[in-house]
Amino acid sequence: MASTVIGANITIEGEVIADEDVVVQGTIRGKLSAKDGVTVEAGAVVEADVTGGPMSLAGQVTGNVTSTDRVELQSGARVVGNVKAARITIADGAHFKGNVDMDV
Amino acid sequence: MASAATIIGRETRIRARVTGGSDVEVHGHLEGELTVGGEVRVEATATIAADIRARRIVVRGAIRGDLNADETILLEDGARVVGDLRAPRVAIAPGGLVRGYVETGHVGEGKRPAQSTATRAAPAPVRHAPAPAPAKHAPKAAPKAVPAPAPAKPAAKGRLTLAGGKAPPPVVPILKKGTKAALTKRR
Repeated sequence: MASTVIGANITIEGEVIADEDVVVQGTIRGKLSAKDGVTVEAGAVVEADVTGGPMSLAGQVTGNVTSTDRVELQSGARVVGNVKAARITIADGAHFKGNVDMDV
Repeated sequence: MASAATIIGRETRIRARVTGGSDVEVHGHLEGELTVGGEVRVEATATIAADIRARRIVVRGAIRGDLNADETILLEDGARVVGDLRAPRVAIAPGGLVRGYVETGHVGEGKRPAQSTATRAAPAPVRHAPAPAPAKHAPKAAPKAVPAPAPAKPAAKGRLTLAGGKAPPPVVPILKKGTKAALTKRR
């Protein structure tokens, strides 16, 4: 069970800091920081720098993404920004514009 | 999983303006502003420093800020609210704590001077309008009719006076000139 869910027709303008999982179905503008997993579902809009643990991105993300674990760009995702993570997967059909920084 | 579309978990802190149309359930910390079209549930672990506007607000946690609901505000056991409550219906269950101004019924804009808590905001009581028309007619009609007793009746009708016709007796007996001085002198 995800602990924090930002519903589909909710807009948050500001910062979200969670010591738990976050699922975004709606809109966040500002900053999103989670200790655990971050899931940006299809249809969600995140205009924020995102930090956290394992991430699954299927919606629209504009901002830098930093993960202590892995970042998965799902098919249909639109990501504009730099991604820094231990592991990154980009699915076929994902749109991505930005730098990738992995521990090589 | 609860039915609420949006859940702010108990380990989550949000400093933001939150707007939208759906229901929101808060278990964590929210600072800023919360405006939604659905129901807001503030659970026991929640701490909120924000004004809340929603269709319906149910509170079991702590809030510092004003609550505005289009339908109902429900403060349940454990609720602690420092702020004003405005809604057509406001319910405070035993164990719910509030410090602030409460307005129920048709909620008008702007603050009115503090009314007592949890009263149904009745339209401001109209002070027995002393219909000006009959009062005006009274002196005119008086001299034509019987001189003495006539003015008493219409005047009594028009105004809320104790004795017919005459002005109400002064509440404090009028002191004669110099009485006050004499009283103070005596001491």
